[in-house]
Amino acid sequence: MRLRVILAALLALAAVGTAQAEKMTVAISTPEIQINSNFTGTNVTIFGVIERDAGTIARNAPYEVATLVLGPPETVVARRKDRFLGIWLNGASETIVSPPIFYSLATTPGLGAPQLAAPAFRNLELGFENIAFTYADRLETNDPGASEFREAFLRLKGESNLYAENLGGVSFIGDSVFRATVRIPANVPVGRYRVLVYLFAGEALLAQSEESIKVSKIGFEQYMFEAAHSRAALYGLGCVALALFTGWIAGVVFRRD
Amino acid sequence: MLIYLPIAEISVNMFVIFGMGAAVGFLSGLFGVGGGFLLTPLLIFSGIPPVVSVATVASQIVASSASAALSYWRRRMIDMKLATILMLSGIVGTLIGVVVFNMLRSLGQLDLIVSIAYVTLLGAIGVLMLNEAVRAILNARAGRPATLRRPGQHSWIHGLPLKMRFKRSKLYVSAIPVVGLGIAIGFLGALLGIGGGFILVPALIYLLRVPTNLVIGTSLVQIVATMSVATVLHSTTNQSVDIVLAIILMVGGVIGAQFGARVGQNIRGDQLRALLALLVLGVAIRFLASLVATPAERFSLTLLSGGAL
Repeated sequence: MRLRVILAALLALAAVGTAQAEKMTVAISTPEIQINSNFTGTNVTIFGVIERDAGTIARNAPYEVATLVLGPPETVVARRKDRFLGIWLNGASETIVSPPIFYSLATTPGLGAPQLAAPAFRNLELGFENIAFTYADRLETNDPGASEFREAFLRLKGESNLYAENLGGVSFIGDSVFRATVRIPANVPVGRYRVLVYLFAGEALLAQSEESIKVSKIGFEQYMFEAAHSRAALYGLGCVALALFTGWIAGVVFRRD
Repeated sequence: MLIYLPIAEISVNMFVIFGMGAAVGFLSGLFGVGGGFLLTPLLIFSGIPPVVSVATVASQIVASSASAALSYWRRRMIDMKLATILMLSGIVGTLIGVVVFNMLRSLGQLDLIVSIAYVTLLGAIGVLMLNEAVRAILNARAGRPATLRRPGQHSWIHGLPLKMRFKRSKLYVSAIPVVGLGIAIGFLGALLGIGGGFILVPALIYLLRVPTNLVIGTSLVQIVATMSVATVLHSTTNQSVDIVLAIILMVGGVIGAQFGARVGQNIRGDQLRALLALLVLGVAIRFLASLVATPAERFSLTLLSGGAL
């Protein structure tokens, strides 16, 4: 009985606390992305509503929003080709530990590259420059010795559309509703993606929310991918059987003797 | 029409891949070779990860070779004893090849070794073939009869011990070169994604003196067996055989091969061999260029867990 009273009091306190700040509600257009045989990528729209009430203090800076879609972490080896005896071969390499396999940032126009250099945004890893890279063979995060590999990683990921920075990509509809469109390319890896939305006034973080998107293969693609990995021997034998069958059919169809 | 490849994890244009399969199938029908040495590089150069290309072409070769092997089987143009020994040793070679393949891959040097192997192997064979074909063409022009090899001619190979009798081929040779050849072809096939017919056929003719009418059928049986084993081993060890890619290539390949075989009957043998030699040299030069030229992008990324990005 006593416990319940304390709990109620705490809840009431919490309610008073949040009444001071903004509340943010976020919705995602497609929380589940299904990859089938004609998947050529898709767009995900993130909607957000900022709720204020009478108790919310007035802000002298306008609202700024950043949305960040992060893929599952996956360790990557970045290799550099070096010239050796006249031929180019993979020489130096760095192992980048668990960077997100997908990274797509969108911000309101007020959060451009110069603004993102502030520590408040660096701590949240908002912007390519602020992503914390750890290397398997180096103690320091973002070790300058590996900066060449870091840049190459960001460039190659950008070229394959898996890393994107869309500064100014979040737009406000009226005062309190915002929208961002995130491009999910055809080569998107499967897994659970985190959708992080941050609301700022100036550099002050007012509210944040986390949603998720599930990217999965469905139907035939899903079945084949699973089979190739969990029943590999059977899958291999199946491929051989299919090949022998195709060869035999061709022999029958085109038989000339 | 874009189609998603479940193992390569990329979308490709189905008709482009089908066209490649058909074009290579056409050439393989024309020249009577498997075409793996053309198809694997084509896929790699068109952006399919090398691992997936090599593994998937193995299954495509099974289809194209099985179809041809069947027709030789019907005409009884196969030395089964020779084929069995080549097959068994080829499987051993394939095992070694897949182990080396996966080792090189984890070291990040697979592309390099594949490129170097293509340059040296195709370069050497292309030069030999071109030399032989040009000589034959010149001889034909001058009206000289082609230099025939007498069946009684023997080389050092025929002096080796462990002799075996192959009744169908009317041969009595040592098992050592046969087994060695089988292992080498199996190894190269698994490593490079080639059937190896264009090496095996001349080797059987010139080194072992197998009668020409039995050579192609016999080598096809060996190729079907080793490439089947390679497909299963690639599937189990690196999960890189893409069944969707394989189906498109197989269908394109078998159709193209039929047309190629028909066109091939109207071209003279020596000219055909000269054309094939030029093609082989072309692929070798393309690989050499990719090794020597300053790359547009010096960096590459690989997921530690396996797949290419």
